[in-house]
Amino acid sequence: MTDMATAPPRKVQLPAFDRYINIIGPLSLIILLALVMAVVQPRFFALNNLMIILQDAAIYMVLGMAMTLVITGKGIDLSIGAVAALSAICMAMLIKDFGWGPYPAMAAAILVGLLCGLANGLVITKLNVPDLLATLAMDLVYRGLGLVLAAGAVLARFPEPIPFLGRGRVEEVIPTAAIVGLVALLIGFFIYHRTKLGRYAAAIGGNREAAMLAGINIDRHKVAHYVLMGGCAALAGILLAGRLNAIQSTAAQGFALHTIAAVVVGGTVLFGGRGTMFGTLIGVILLSMVTNALVLLRFQFFWQLVAAGFIIIISIAFYTWLQRRTGETPDE
Amino acid sequence: MADSAHTAALPANAPILTMRGISKAFGGLRALMGVDLDLYAGEVLAIVGDNGAGKSTLIKVLTGVHTPDTGEITIDGKPVTIANRRHAIDAGIQAVYQNLGLVNSLPAPANVFLGMELYTGLLGIKMLDNRRMRRETEAILRDKVGVIIDDLDAPVRSFSGGQRQAVAIARAVYQSDLKVLVMDEPMAALGPEETRHTMDLIRSVRDRGIAVILISHNLEHVFAVADRVQVMRGGQRAGVVTVANSTREEVLGMVVGSRATTLA
Repeated sequence: MTDMATAPPRKVQLPAFDRYINIIGPLSLIILLALVMAVVQPRFFALNNLMIILQDAAIYMVLGMAMTLVITGKGIDLSIGAVAALSAICMAMLIKDFGWGPYPAMAAAILVGLLCGLANGLVITKLNVPDLLATLAMDLVYRGLGLVLAAGAVLARFPEPIPFLGRGRVEEVIPTAAIVGLVALLIGFFIYHRTKLGRYAAAIGGNREAAMLAGINIDRHKVAHYVLMGGCAALAGILLAGRLNAIQSTAAQGFALHTIAAVVVGGTVLFGGRGTMFGTLIGVILLSMVTNALVLLRFQFFWQLVAAGFIIIISIAFYTWLQRRTGETPDE
Repeated sequence: MADSAHTAALPANAPILTMRGISKAFGGLRALMGVDLDLYAGEVLAIVGDNGAGKSTLIKVLTGVHTPDTGEITIDGKPVTIANRRHAIDAGIQAVYQNLGLVNSLPAPANVFLGMELYTGLLGIKMLDNRRMRRETEAILRDKVGVIIDDLDAPVRSFSGGQRQAVAIARAVYQSDLKVLVMDEPMAALGPEETRHTMDLIRSVRDRGIAVILISHNLEHVFAVADRVQVMRGGQRAGVVTVANSTREEVLGMVVGSRATTLA
């Protein structure tokens, strides 16, 4: 304790720079990337290309919204790709094999997603399986169920509005999917800042013990996060099926990692307690820009994986460094 | 001492809280044996004693964590039953524990109102009333705790230890019509500067009419901030002294009992 006598009093206010670094960081990367592309490939800025970036980003906006909440509550969901594929396959089969209309089939897909999320949440809270392992195992379950149902077939050509949602354009310019994604993030912003669900996610992720002492039903809220995540994964599956106008059981492979990367790049703390929907929007757009730039620069597709991996490592290392610098450590 | 007039005036009033003949056994271990306690509004009563003397059991009985085997508690002269935490809170008794129970990543208003948020409606949608919670937090901190915090939107992790204590107390104040604030070793993990802030905070809360029970191992702290000291030893009340008329040596003697002469 003797060294504390000479230590200066703790600084009370974080400088503005530190408080907004999670926005400034990815935003400056976006600007940097834009500058590079302006020099090497001006085609990047063609209106149509920008809209393609938005359309690519849309699915991850929907997923990122719920993932931000899940991660803020100290959870993680690795099963969202399989949930998206399974939900979309259910929708496709109801339309193709059972003659359902597109709207009831889409509703059914969302229901499948919500149920998958409920199952995830119950495995985590009632069977006490850690979030990471529970959703990793459930990913196999959902992937397997999808394969069983569709038997490996590709289901294609869906009635409107499914293609319109996935790849249509409003006024022939703005991708419909991007509007869906932005609305999802707006709803997420509301949930995070204006509802008990969002507030308690931060409390549970920040200090589980304090949340419990405050009388918060932790299990019920964690289950709710995963149910919302499942519903959003199903919506992402519908958008994907619409964009490709086809779906198969092995679709949506990289959803989980790409989404987690975007959320973390955006400044949501991977270890819970603090999230940001606006940061997630920035993170999603940054990752989609990188993917698009690599395509335009004619890199082989597989380089996207390499780039995505590096971006995750760099941003987590950066935020960890930042948190140590500002004395920010997890509560427990 | 500036508080002497204040202390001298105490016996004239009836105690706000009395505990009479409190006993509690855990299996064969008799943690409390017929303990009495009197607490007056606007005083800081320190409870001192060795480990196992019964300090924390007594406090846990008061805050509804443990139910006593025998004994009775009165508040404002009226007998009360405190069988759980809720009863204690409803009776106006709140405890702030050493780890404070705050979520460091959330700002002060979210912490003060955690688990009992205020809502507003818009087009039938129930949503958190962040503005009102912020305003009320500011008012509670200013009027009940005597602290002004500049940046209520910053996460409390950027606060000093003293400011975090203030937020935890504001939370306790808000939760009930607070009459008795129990602070369990609030200075245990703090440096000198923070300790001074926390003591100021305790005085400030007391001066606003809330009775404070302070549990501490450190007699320097006790003599700096308390008005009276209740000494516990072996599950019984070894004695009560007024700080103004006592010495550390006297209290230490009561803490260690018959061994006082050999140790002191």
